[in-house]
Amino acid sequence: MNNFGVSDSNLVSHYKSGNEEAFEELVSRHKSRVFTTIYLIVKDKYVAEDLLQDTFIKVVKTIKSGRYNEEGKFLPWILRIAHNLAIDYFRKDKRYPTIVMEDGSKVFNTLEFAEDSIESLQIKSDTNALLKKLVQELPETQKEVLIMRHYMQMSFQDIAEATDVSINTALGRMRYALINLRKKMQNSTIAYDNTFYRK
Amino acid sequence: MTILFTENDLIRYIYGETSELENSEIENAVLCDSELSEKLDGLKSIYYDLDHLIVSPSERAMNDIFKSSVLL
Repeated sequence: MNNFGVSDSNLVSHYKSGNEEAFEELVSRHKSRVFTTIYLIVKDKYVAEDLLQDTFIKVVKTIKSGRYNEEGKFLPWILRIAHNLAIDYFRKDKRYPTIVMEDGSKVFNTLEFAEDSIESLQIKSDTNALLKKLVQELPETQKEVLIMRHYMQMSFQDIAEATDVSINTALGRMRYALINLRKKMQNSTIAYDNTFYRK
Repeated sequence: MTILFTENDLIRYIYGETSELENSEIENAVLCDSELSEKLDGLKSIYYDLDHLIVSPSERAMNDIFKSSVLL
């Protein structure tokens, strides 16, 4: 099946008729944007992969049962499902007690660090790794607007309605997020350069 | 007449939420205002960095999703 130039809504129609390749194309097209949206909220790649699977299972069930009716708006729809699942997870996770080791470190962090250590070493100086960390450190209200606008492609008007604030507040949060990230990126680059290139 | 633009206007501009008229006014203002130009460059720079911040799921996760579709 040559999917070059085929719209999402056409692929959904093919999938409704039982064409699994159409579904594979839809998933391949949007997996990274959906996964990034989830990952930036839950901050753990294994949890993000589980939630990605849950997202697509909801998509499959909705399309196969004939309840999908958002022709032409596939990506915003799937991003909303992913965002809601990630937020639900994030809220539940915050209520669970965290197991803390004798040295004060969290069990979860220890495991994550151990499994990521080779990857972490490889990408230590990488801009993406730094930016990923900085995005995750943003205040929740700023991170929420950033993810909704940049990765979910919602308009500022839609974000304002979804988060129950004025459009100026949504824009202000985005402004702080972008300016903070920019400053921290610059400071980190300067610190890195000073460490490795001492005068 | 000089039109003053705020950083919120520049953010709406880089995210494609300004009208054609506002676009041309902002583009003209940037040409004569170095401070505004610097602010726009800074915002664009972090915008492009964010655009490259894309994380991909593993092959295993993808295969699990494809299997689920066949089974459901």
